Parts: sequence; C-alpha cells; structure tokens
Amino acid sequence: MIIFIDGKKFGIESKKTILEAARENEIYIPSLCDHSRLSPFSGCRLCIVEIKGRRGYVPSCSTYVEEGMDVKTDSPRLRKMRKQILELILSEHPNACLICSEKENCDEYKSTIRKVGEVTGCVLCPNNGRCELQDVVKALKIDKVRFPSVYRNYEVKKNDPFFDRNYNLCILCGRCVRVCHDLRGSSAVSFVFRGSKAGIGTVFDQTLLEAGCQFCGACVDVCPTGALTERALKYETLPDETRKTICPFCSIGCELKMELKEGRILNSAPSEDGPVNQGQACVKGRFTIKDAVYSSQRILKPMIRKNKELEEVSWEEALDFVAKKLKKYKGKEIGLIASPQVSNEDNFLIHKFAEYVLKTENIDSVVRFSSYAVFQDLAQKNGFELNLNFKIEDISKAKTIFLLGADIVVTHPIIWLEVLRAVNNGAKLIVASSVDFFLNRFSSLWLKMKPGSEYFLLSFLSKVIIDKSKVENLAQIEGFKNLKSSLDELDLSQAIEKTDIEEENIKKAAEILIKETPSVFIFGMELTQLPWGSQNLAGLWNLSLQTQGQLVPLGLETNLRGLFELNRHCSSNTKGFKRIIQDAEEGKVKALYLASPIPYSQKAKFEFLVIQDSFMSENMKKADAVLPAASFAEIEGTFVNVEGRIQKFNKVIEPLGEAKPDWWIISQLAQKMGHNELNYNASSEISKEMIKNIPGFSGISFQKLKKGERLFIQEEKKGKKKFVPIKFFSTSIETSKEYPFLMLVDYNLDYYKNLDLSQEIKAFGIIRNSRWFKINPNDAKKTKLKDGETMEVESSKGKVKGIVKVLESVPRGTIVASFLWNEEETISVARLVSPLSNASHSLVLLPVKIKRGK
Amino acid sequence: MEEKLLTQHFGIENLFKIDVYLKHSGYQAVKKALKEMKPSEIMDEVKAANLRGRGGAGFPAGVKWGFVPQDIDKPKYLCVNADEGEPGTFKDRYIMSHNPHLLLEGIIIASFAVGIHKGFVYIRGEYETIALRFEQAISEANKEGFLGKNILGTGFDLNVFVHRGAGSYICGEETALLESIEGKRGNPRLKPPFPASVGLFGCPTVINNVETLSNVPQIILNGAKWFCQKGLPKDGGTRIFGVSGMVKNPGIYELPMGTNLKDIIFKHAGGMKDGKKLKAVIPGGMSAPILTADEIDIKMDFDSLMDAKSMLGSAAIIVIDEDTSILDVLKVITKFYSHESCGQCTPCRVGNSWINKIVKRIAGGKGKKEDIDNIIRLASNMLGKTLCPLGDAAAMPILSITQKFRKEIESYIGN
Repeated sequence: MIIFIDGKKFGIESKKTILEAARENEIYIPSLCDHSRLSPFSGCRLCIVEIKGRRGYVPSCSTYVEEGMDVKTDSPRLRKMRKQILELILSEHPNACLICSEKENCDEYKSTIRKVGEVTGCVLCPNNGRCELQDVVKALKIDKVRFPSVYRNYEVKKNDPFFDRNYNLCILCGRCVRVCHDLRGSSAVSFVFRGSKAGIGTVFDQTLLEAGCQFCGACVDVCPTGALTERALKYETLPDETRKTICPFCSIGCELKMELKEGRILNSAPSEDGPVNQGQACVKGRFTIKDAVYSSQRILKPMIRKNKELEEVSWEEALDFVAKKLKKYKGKEIGLIASPQVSNEDNFLIHKFAEYVLKTENIDSVVRFSSYAVFQDLAQKNGFELNLNFKIEDISKAKTIFLLGADIVVTHPIIWLEVLRAVNNGAKLIVASSVDFFLNRFSSLWLKMKPGSEYFLLSFLSKVIIDKSKVENLAQIEGFKNLKSSLDELDLSQAIEKTDIEEENIKKAAEILIKETPSVFIFGMELTQLPWGSQNLAGLWNLSLQTQGQLVPLGLETNLRGLFELNRHCSSNTKGFKRIIQDAEEGKVKALYLASPIPYSQKAKFEFLVIQDSFMSENMKKADAVLPAASFAEIEGTFVNVEGRIQKFNKVIEPLGEAKPDWWIISQLAQKMGHNELNYNASSEISKEMIKNIPGFSGISFQKLKKGERLFIQEEKKGKKKFVPIKFFSTSIETSKEYPFLMLVDYNLDYYKNLDLSQEIKAFGIIRNSRWFKINPNDAKKTKLKDGETMEVESSKGKVKGIVKVLESVPRGTIVASFLWNEEETISVARLVSPLSNASHSLVLLPVKIKRGK
Repeated sequence: MEEKLLTQHFGIENLFKIDVYLKHSGYQAVKKALKEMKPSEIMDEVKAANLRGRGGAGFPAGVKWGFVPQDIDKPKYLCVNADEGEPGTFKDRYIMSHNPHLLLEGIIIASFAVGIHKGFVYIRGEYETIALRFEQAISEANKEGFLGKNILGTGFDLNVFVHRGAGSYICGEETALLESIEGKRGNPRLKPPFPASVGLFGCPTVINNVETLSNVPQIILNGAKWFCQKGLPKDGGTRIFGVSGMVKNPGIYELPMGTNLKDIIFKHAGGMKDGKKLKAVIPGGMSAPILTADEIDIKMDFDSLMDAKSMLGSAAIIVIDEDTSILDVLKVITKFYSHESCGQCTPCRVGNSWINKIVKRIAGGKGKKEDIDNIIRLASNMLGKTLCPLGDAAAMPILSITQKFRKEIESYIGN
C-alpha cells in the first residue's frame, strides 16, 4: 500500500505500524517502550505523530498503516510535546549527566568512578554509552528539565544471580515485563503498585530466583536504561569489538554476539538476527560463556607423564611422545572416542585418523546412547525411512503438541519458546511425564504417569484412534494389520494399570489428537534410554503416522546430529563403546584416545591413555598424555543443530595458553606418524573434503551460509512409511523393599566438554546443580532430609553422594538426578546408570535407597 | 411529580428478594422479551429508544450491541460495569442494593438479544454487601428459572457471575475491567481492537453500565417511543442524578433526561446548605469540567453539557459553596488521579504526580508565579495524548478549574 510520511511517498507492506514503516525507511521517530520483538505498549508516548484528517496525536508504535495515510512525524508542535514528555521521564530518572553541557569532558573519568553504591548520573551508570535514554535525549536535544529531579531511592536489588536491578533508573517502558511474560512464559516480573508509585517488581518483592525466573537474561537485553545490568559488565568500559558465533551449550545452536575488549570476551548475548534463536538465548548462552571459556579448569599446555607425574612440555615433545607410543600398537589395539561437542571438521578428521592412520575400527562416541541411535535402529529393523530433520518454526504452527521425555524449558529453551508461541496461538499442549515440569502450567493436559510406561499410553492412544478414525485411510499405510493385531493385546484396564493415568485423561488426549491437527510430537532422551526404549519410540512413531503429525527428536549435545551423520557414513563397521571397553578389560584394546569425556570401567587397564580436551577431568589421573584443545570461542568450524541445520561458528578470541584446535592436533599427530595426506592448514580445508565425502553434507557451501541461506543435512525422502507392531513386555523397573525409591535421570547439557557448569560457575549452580538429588517434600520429611544436606543414593551397583534439593514438582517415591559422563567416583551418577553395565539402555530409571550422607 | 422508571419501587420492603420483586410486575419484561420477541426486534427497540450509556461516555447501547459479530464460533460475553469508581457517583449502588433483579432482567434481555450465554458483573471491591446481595439475587433467579439452562422453557441459557474488583479506579475503564476479570493487573488495553470484536478472553464482549441495563426492561415493556417521551428524543429515558456536596438534601434523584441543573440543585435537592452562596458545580462526576455558578442554567443531557464544554458523565453532581476553597477541590482531584493512574503512560503517570505536587506546594503557601501555567502545560500534555481516558479524565477538571478560577488560585500564590 502507499502511504505518505512527511510528504514523501512510500510503498509499505500491510500489517505494519507507522513506527515500523518509518524505521524501515530510515525516518527517525523517538521511542523508548517499543521493541521490535514485543507487542506494542504505547506507554512512553514519545513516538506520537500526526495523521492528516485525524484529531489529536496517535502513538506510531501501535497505529497500523492504512492506504493513503498521510503521516507527519516531525513538526514544531510534535517536537515541543515530545520534549515535554521526555522531561517528565527525566524527572524520574537521574538526569544531571544527561543534560550536562560538559558531558563530553567526563569521558576520561568514566571507568574509575563506577564503583559507587548509588547511580545518580550517567558517569556512575554501568550502562553509560549503551543507553537508549541517552540516545533519545541527544536526538531531542534536551538541555534542561523544568522539574527538579526526584531520586526515588529504591534499594538496589543485588541478591540474584548474574544481574542487578536498580529501579531508580527504570523508566517503566515495560519491555522486561512483556518479554518475560509474552516471549519467555516466565512472568517473573510484573508491574507493581499504581500511580506515582508504579514500578516493576516480583510477587511480594521476592528475589527473582524465588519468583521463578529462568535467568535467560531477555529482560536485561531489552532494558533501554541501566535499570537491569549484567554484573559482569558493571566495571567494564565499552567494548571495542563485537563478534558473532554459535553457542555450544546445547543442540539449538543459538547465534550469540560477544563483546570484546582488547581481545578479551566481556560478555555474550543473543544476536538480534540469530536465525534459530531470533534474539533469545538461555541462562547458559547469556551468562556462562565467558566464565566457561576463561575457566581455571582450562588445560593450557600439553602434558605427558614422566616419573608418574604429568609434566608440562612443548607441543613438539608431546606430539612426538604420543605418535611414538601409538605407532607401537596395532590398529585393533587402539580405541578412540569422538566428541559431540566439537565441530564436524574435528570429528571428520578423527574418523579419518582412525581409518587411515591407526587403521582401527574401534571408534565410537556417546551418539550410541542417544535417541537418534534408537530411532535408527528401529527404522532399520522395521524397514522405514529415518527422517530427523525438522524446522523449528513448524512447532509454532502446530495445533497439538505432544511432549515426552524432556524438560525442554531446561534442555532446549528455544524449542520451548516455539511451543509457547503455539500455545499462545491456541494450540493444545499435552505433556506426558511423571515430574511436574514448569511448562505443565501451559498444558491443556498433563498426563501424570509412571515413568517408563510410555508405550502403554502411546499404544492405547493408537488403539483409540484406530477405533475412532476412518480405517480406510490408515489401512493404506503398510503394516497396519500387524499393528492392529499387536494392539489387540492391550486393553484399557491394562493401560491404566501400567501408566497410572486416569481413564478420562487418556480419552481426552485421544480426542485432542484426533481433532486438533496438525500435530507435533516432541521427544527427548528420557523416552528412549530404557530397555524398551525402542517400543516407546515405536508407539510414538505409529501415533505420528496415524495423525499425520511430525516427529521432533531432540538430540542433547551441541553437535550430536553432525557426529551421528558422520558415524552413519564413515564407520558402519565400527565397534561399539561397550565393546571397546570390554576388549580393554580382556586386554585386547591397549591404548585409548579420548577426545571426549566418558566414564570407563575400573577393570579396564590401558597401557596408554591420551586425553584431548579443553578442561581438566578425573580421567587425567590415569592419562599418559594430555593435549590441550581450544574451546569453541577460539576456533571456527561447523555444527549441525537439533533441526539438522548446518551452522558455521566463528573464531572470537585467540586460543588460550598453548591450546590448539582439535583438528590441528590430529593433523600434527598424523604427520608425525608419517601420514602427510592429513596435512591441513585450516578447518575450511577439512570442510571441503567432508562435503565431498559425506553424503549428508553435500550441498553445503560457506558462501550460501554466509548469505543466510538455511542449509540442512541431506536426507533421503522417498516417504516410505510403515507401522511398527508393538511388543508388550511384562518386565518393568520397579522399586523393592530394599530399594524403595526410583531414581530418574534428568538429561540436560549443563556441561561443556569436561566442564561442569554448575560447579564452575557459582551463580549457575544456584539455579540448577548437577549435584542435586531432587526429592518430594513428603519424602524429605519422612527421611528427615533438608535442603542443602548431603544425601547418599545407593543402588545394587554402588553408592554416590549428592545434595538434597526439595521440590514440589518431583513425584513421591522418586529421586531426580542429573547425569555427567565423567566425574569423581563418589559423586558420579553416571557410574550407577553406566552404559557399560548389562542393562545397557536403562540410563533413565534405577531403583535406589537413600539416606543422609556425610 | 415526574414518573420514575428505575426507582419507582424503591422503598418497598425487601424489594431485593425475588418474591417481593415478582409481586411488583417483576420479570414481566424478561417473559415478554424471551417469549414474544426475536433478538433482532429487541435490539431494534433498544436502538430506537436512544438509550445512551449511563457510565459516562453516553454511547448508544443498542448500537454497541450491534457491533458484536453474530456469525462467529467463539463464545460471546456480557460484562456489567458495576465498578462505580468515579468520585461523586453513587447511583449504581442504589440500584443494586434496592433492586438487583431489575438489573438482572436487563442482563438477561441484553444477553438474549446479542446471543450471550455468560455474563460477568464486575462490582467494585468496596461494595461488599452489594456483591453479596447480588449473588443472592442471582441464586434466586436461578432457582426461579430466570437464569441457568433453558430459561422459561425458551431454550435460552445464561449464567451470570459476580466478579469483585480490588479497589482500583482504572478498572472502571472497560478494557482494564476485562483484564481484571481475566485475572490480570487492571491496565487498559490498546484500542483497536475494540471489546465488541476482541474482548474478554479474546472473545466478542458487550460492556454496559448498571443503570444502562436497568433501563432495558422498561423499554421492552413500554416501547421505544414511550421511553423517548420520558426523556429527550435523541436521549431517551430518565437519569439518576446523584447530588452531593453543599446542598440541603444530598441523594439520588431520578428525573427526566434534560432536567435543568438549577432545578435539580435548588428545587429537588433543597438548595444550598446553610443558605450559602453557590460557587461551582461539577456536573458529571469528578472527571467532568467544572461549571461556575453563572453556568448552571443548563439542561442536563449529553449534548447540552457537551455544548457547554463539560460533560454529563455519570450524572453525579458535586455542589461547591462559597466557603470551599477551590484549591482544596483541586488538591482532592489531583491527589486522586496521581494515585489512580495505572502507571503505563508517561504523561498521565508523571504528569498527574507533578500536578499534585505543585498544587500541594501552592496550598502550602510556597507557590510560584509560573505554577499555574505549569499545571496547565502538564494537563494539556495529557489531554488526548494518553493511552486510555484516564488522562483526559484528569486533565479536563484540572484545566477547567485552573482556567475558570485562576484568580482565586493566584491569590494563594504570594508575590
């Protein structure tokens, strides 16, 4: 449509506000409460404009353009009114510096006078130079305020992790309230009081932690003033550079922008135009990156074991040492473990190293313990096509969302935002879980169930839908008869008995699935990592075929999908994780190269152990050589995210100490071992080779990535569909008199390589902690355990210690624990649920007993 | 004596009980409307009656009902605005405490006309006994079959719920009222969309004032023409005037629309208390621009007062005598608005707070010469520039008082 702004003609897409239209055409209208990602608020009133033929003044941020509209954004009258409004805002905000005629001269003192308790002027404000209020004052040329400044004298809130709240600087734009409620679903902050006392706060003035804040930092990012400021930036001056890269702390792959000062990272924040995250991140990406990169646990120099002690040596010496040792072993005597938290290029090279240099089939990774592996297995055995790709925005378009096996608010926060968007658009959310997740409050239906009984629920739903929908449609899909007859075994009473779900709720779920389409089925590891995990998945697969819904498998680790793709094509003959360790126990595998943290059996004695990682770990105690790998921030490469999207991440800083990229280390070793064909000078050279050789990566080009094109892993799409008959097991994991509690493993990626974020970063450990054993208040009362006390959890395989965390959301009789691959023995939950034990897939459930620990 | 439409049965013992109400031709209008009329006929009748909204804005009720889309699969809601927070206004509480079933009749007929099956009566927090009484009335009506499923065997269903406010003035603004019923903080919404299309829980919603709906039964029983005759042709019916302040007989007076203000004060309300001289009148609740003693020979209807640059509003007449300092009046007004602003938009939140501070300064004897101009500047900056009508509601009385009584205010400011 055509509109006129200040007399000039513009073509505008409909459904835009005047403010958006003006911004698009680089016409400045001052505003403070508007934000491109948030709904209009029209609170500050600075953006008022005149429209020909309309009485009065309208806020341009909430007035939509109409055909032929004639807008005036600037006139002496408008300027006067805006100045008056801004004066009112400034009368509530410390303004001495804002209108000071000598403000330029203050620059040289800024960094030193920041360390004061109260901010009474810009030079004392942590956000000096990053402040939108400063920008607007400058644009409107305010040089006096005709009201005395009122310092509201609110106490500065400093008792929460990561950021401070100084409401003396707040201008009540409401952006934090809107982003928290509308985009993040948290509603931790809200408007409080009214009139001249109106402000922002939490319920009953609790701390943010108590008020249910997720510490995603979205409010800090949208705050136009210094009211919300990141503590890490408090005493820093402005950055001299900003660089973008991809966050490695989960499989979403958020684009982050990192601020740098003299080559040091100051902070990280979501990039406004991040293709996946669109200006959002989570607590990890927003607040923990810098501390993780600069952690005291970083390995900064190569080390080799000399006289029983690890000693720092030069790269030359370390590489010579490792090369010489490795050469001594035959291929089948060497095992390698690849990492899902490094780049595709690094993993491609380690696979090539195994195949061409070491000539071993003993290469594996934790991919084997992922839902992808279970899915692949199911597809192969039943002859249907495995499709893992999805598009994140499809989630928000769904009418029904069925979630199982993951607390996505923690594990995949950006997926949660899409789910929230769908729910806000009227979609129905069904959650099947035993734990009462935060997001359950947004669900239409929470199927509170016995953990591990999912396939009884899913199969019964299948059965109800077969009975209720037109059989002809479903019968066309292969395997329908087999499915139908396999479901004959299951009746309602059995389903209710096995799952503990009320009959009415099962019926409701079926009704929603039939009525509200399209549907999306999101599942995480807790669905699949059970002895009958493949049946759980088969149940979900059938349901998705019946309702023509989409399956969204959630991989946990950063680049799990990329590593899975490599595994699929590089190493079909490779031996499994378990076999490598077993062979070691039997003395067949003598040397192990760990490029990733894993637990391994105490019985396995290696003659030679190499660790290549960025952070120190328990396994280092046994290592013969330790090679310091650079962190993600120090290198470039590609990751494949949870959607199957390939993303390039960039080098932000120089490697710390003498750390080197993983690919460089492997390449150097190969050359030392006489394989000059593995000589590479940059990771991009490896990318090219990988693109040529790995079918899933074909079609990638960095040019296209740079242009912002969305590139996905190539998948075969013949569209072969087939129902999978369900086998019902009589066994289940049950508690006993001896082990009366059921321990539930809660999968999250609160670690980066060998670094446990909750232990390294104190503030993060307050929000969630890998050492917590979460327990229901009733159970805590019965066992006389209190928050913060030490608890000992014992299973038939041993005992571990942790910290009691009493939570209402945990069901009775259950302990919820987190899982890290490599920890000290006394605290390692991984040891109890180790994949190396016999029930190799039961990584989720374990009967245990508990008592107070010392 | 003028005929009364709303208050005719006031004074009958236990009128608020349904059996007493039924003895005084109660629920006849509901019976007629539901059994003998089509919804469209009801709507046409109410439109023809020119029943203008009694809450303050004076928007024709029938037209408002007509805005609700009929071919929509979402539920539709009726919200009754019984928040009555406008200072000086106390008419709705009389209706609800004396004759709650009259309002219920209006609710049932309006819901039937628009095709609504759920109604919410938003009663201000301070009206606790009224809320209890109204809930009692609802339960009686349910028992007698005037509410609930299949009302009077016509197949029409309607449930009515009481929702109580928590003491905020802004919740009387229709969109803030909706937010409040939804369980949120009572902040006004941006318009458009208007409640008739996107209202309570995102569904089409009619919001009417208590007095407005209470007029509907009479329109149904006696017809639009009769109703117009009781008031003015374009502004039908009577109005309940609530007279307060320095008169001999403060109270409510139901009189024909367009009754002269002078008559209301001097004839009906018994004239000035203690024989004092009249100084000024606020004619339509505190938000209405003030009228000086010379300006009160005026017809009390929407258009006449509009012409006099004031407004009929809630028809709450506040009478101010010669002994009352205009600065005290201003102090009360500005304190009220600075307290009741929701805080969302700058001119209203900060502006009202500053005006109040300046007025207090003048009252404290420390006024400055430029203060009156500052008040005018701040108030003008609110007028027509805020998100909801509260900014206007504050600006109008403040501007009219400072302009019309400038000399008196100046006398409080020393040289």
